[in-house]
Amino acid sequence: MPAKRLPLSSPTKHRINDEVMLEICSFSGHKIYPSKGKTYVRIDSRSFRFINGKSESYFLQRLNPRKIKWTVIYRRLNKKGITEEIAKKRSRRTVKHERAVAGVSWDAIRAKRNQKPDARAAARQAAIAKSKEAKKAAAATKKTTTGSAAQGAKVSKQGAKGFAPKAAATSR
Amino acid sequence: MIGLKGTLNVIDNSGAIVAECIRVLSGARFARAGDEIVCVVKRARPINPNLIGTQAATQKVKKGDVRHALVVRTKKEMGRPDGRYIRFDDNACILLNQKKEPLGTRILGVVAAELRMKNWMKAVSLAPRVV
Repeated sequence: MPAKRLPLSSPTKHRINDEVMLEICSFSGHKIYPSKGKTYVRIDSRSFRFINGKSESYFLQRLNPRKIKWTVIYRRLNKKGITEEIAKKRSRRTVKHERAVAGVSWDAIRAKRNQKPDARAAARQAAIAKSKEAKKAAAATKKTTTGSAAQGAKVSKQGAKGFAPKAAATSR
Repeated sequence: MIGLKGTLNVIDNSGAIVAECIRVLSGARFARAGDEIVCVVKRARPINPNLIGTQAATQKVKKGDVRHALVVRTKKEMGRPDGRYIRFDDNACILLNQKKEPLGTRILGVVAAELRMKNWMKAVSLAPRVV
């Protein structure tokens, strides 16, 4: 049977050169090099590869590889011999990128952020004083224009169109 | 390793179920996958006399028939040229006619790739899976 080209990340086979596949024992998980081991094809067409008679015997006795201490699957489940791998792993850091927001440019954000505290206080004072001035001016203009309140009477939308005003409700 | 008195499952649709080897045609003591043997049909599907047409055509053999057969699976492991050994869970064969063609029209189950190496191309083409 011509060997199928499987990707190198395939769990069951590893390519060692273009022609030959490196198999994995169905019971113990060990690598099977060429001319080693046996293949067993069951009646339901499922095939199993064994590295040696020991794995084959265990498999046919229907023992569970998860409980047999020298198998790869047991060692992986019980985390044996993994400590070196963990030490090598370095944690990943996410890098935060500064970004402009819609409506405010990046420079404006940065200027505001880097503003010195006393500069900020001075700006605030200036703003307060300015709003006070504005309020005083608004109060003054209000006094002079109360005479034209009738002119500023509310005209409803329908009234503007030319309809009679709505009759006032007497009950309810 | 099928020898005299060796029993095989018949995995085509010729009607036979179990066959017993009476002769290995290559002159060797035992037959492997891809070898031709002479066998006796020990158990066959009951032939229904009421069937007509294509269904009757597939029930070609009855118990006690002596036929040629081709061994397609053996429980004894066989070596491959790449150094692998492969074995199946049972011994199986398909029946052949006098012209070395498969008697049945379908093969059910896996078949060894030794058939291809020994040039049984018709059988290989009928097989659903060759391992």
